[in-house]
Amino acid sequence: MLVDIGQQLAFPAEITTTTLRPDLVLCISWIGNKIHTSYFLLLVFLLQPKPENAVTVAVSSRVLFRTDREQKVYEQKGIEEYLSYQIQHENKPFAPGPAFSFVKALEAVNGRLRALYPQSEELFDLVLVTYNHAHVGVRLINTINHHNLFIERFCMTGGSSPIGYLKAWHTNLYLSADADKVREALAEGIAAATMFMPEKLTEVSETQLRVAFDGDAVLFSDESERIFKTHGLDKFFEHEKENEDTLLDHGPLKGFLEALGKLQKKFYAKGQRLDCPIRTFLVTARSAASSGIRALKTLRAWGLEIDEALFLAGAPKGPMLEKIRPHIYFDDQMFHIEGAAQMGTIAAHVPYGIAQTHQNKQK
Amino acid sequence: MTASICAASDTRKNAEHTVVVAITSHSVFESRDGDDVFGAGLAFPLLQALQRVNEQLLEGNPDESLLFDVVLVTTDRKQQQQRSLIMSSTTHHGLDVSRFCFSCEEDFVESLQTNAVDLFLSTDRKELLQASEQGVVSALLETHSASPPLEQLRILFCGDFLIQPDAGLKLAGAQSAKGFLSRLGEVRRRFSVQDSPLSITVLTSRGGRESCGSAICVLRSFGINADEAYCLAGAPRAPILNVLQPHFIFMSFDG
Repeated sequence: MLVDIGQQLAFPAEITTTTLRPDLVLCISWIGNKIHTSYFLLLVFLLQPKPENAVTVAVSSRVLFRTDREQKVYEQKGIEEYLSYQIQHENKPFAPGPAFSFVKALEAVNGRLRALYPQSEELFDLVLVTYNHAHVGVRLINTINHHNLFIERFCMTGGSSPIGYLKAWHTNLYLSADADKVREALAEGIAAATMFMPEKLTEVSETQLRVAFDGDAVLFSDESERIFKTHGLDKFFEHEKENEDTLLDHGPLKGFLEALGKLQKKFYAKGQRLDCPIRTFLVTARSAASSGIRALKTLRAWGLEIDEALFLAGAPKGPMLEKIRPHIYFDDQMFHIEGAAQMGTIAAHVPYGIAQTHQNKQK
Repeated sequence: MTASICAASDTRKNAEHTVVVAITSHSVFESRDGDDVFGAGLAFPLLQALQRVNEQLLEGNPDESLLFDVVLVTTDRKQQQQRSLIMSSTTHHGLDVSRFCFSCEEDFVESLQTNAVDLFLSTDRKELLQASEQGVVSALLETHSASPPLEQLRILFCGDFLIQPDAGLKLAGAQSAKGFLSRLGEVRRRFSVQDSPLSITVLTSRGGRESCGSAICVLRSFGINADEAYCLAGAPRAPILNVLQPHFIFMSFDG
């Protein structure tokens, strides 16, 4: 690192606390705040991956941060009041939302990846994609600064649908508080889930990204779940036994698990299998000895390694998830999402497949 | 050298308060062989969007004087000599144009200045550079003909137009830009946040979130609250522009 000893360089907080290691620091003899602006721009220019090479995770402002009070203002007083409230409170950062610890964990993985592969663009790329108007932009930027998040890309669509932008960013995963937008994204083939703020939050790891998936209608298609819902458990078991060697069709989150697996392999290649900062879990109601076999065979055929597979044989998922402490748990059934949230697990609903119509009927 | 000639049409607006927008005739019309009028060119959707804004402004207030005032300008000798064809095509297509300026390459910027043009639009970057170097606020006409044209007038400000590394702020003729931007802000404020016939977007291609935040604040200081903001931080622009579909873009034209 080349430093002009004669100058007292003042770096913004983000740089001193980051785990990034730039290859080059320019020595510039300008004065005052022009130095750290240029330095920061250089850092950003060097280290932002191209969207198609990275694993792009798009989060909305309502899941990255807590915006309950503002939501109330919007619902009760309308958009003009909401926007002026936001502008008035521009310098007051939002509190972390349900996706916050997940995003922090993604950044931790990036830090480890950059240390091992400084030139690679195979990283997590975080994009804030929000329905909000640019009026709220300054408050969101101030909040990102306050929490030392490394999010440099965003889309504030001012009310238009974000779907076109999700596609333009080659989004691998979209997290939002709005179920309609999530459904739209799923319909366009983008992995997406709705997130909810749990009442209490259990502590999660700051150094290892832990992602848990349900099996049917999340990693796999909902074909077997359809059998279960229409013909019952016995028929389900029968069907799974008969089709043990037939691969299940893929579900909406299969691609994201695949992307995680690719990054995991980069750590394995450098001898860091035991210390890998990404760990994946399958948490399924299937049984290990019977219906679970088809799930494992399918994963193997797809070339996907999952670190831990938990076959609950119908037992409640809450306690198991509480032990795993994932940064995010994907399930297609609200019943399981609610159960997980009650025990402090951050759960995300994938509104896909037969379970959705079944849930509607129950109402 | 033929001096530029300006002709007024019947739809002249109250000069005091209008936002005068000059558009090159070569972007508005397309010559069709064998036809006795020009065909609709790439800037047609823009003209229709401007017209819609005016209609809605008048709906809100029939005595509204803050309207868009469209002027067609020729910037080369060839078009300059087709003035009657241009005027008849304008009538033929029912376009709301108040004035024509039949200039050529040498003097079109001068005619923009004498006609107190607030905004100059063209698809030709050389013309735009020429005009902006002489203090006329200019923007690039975008011509994405791939998707169906949007009803809403969509205006895009690029970060490099608002913020320049050397002097902090550099706008084409800072005074004229200030005046234009604050009037554009006034027009935008005539409508509510949602369902507006025009939308203003900020996009920064390079630099991180701070540069986009600065761009939003610069616009705000001129009285414009941007509707949408996009910070690309080095990601490719083209896919985003395809979704954004701006009608015209404020950007830096040098280099």
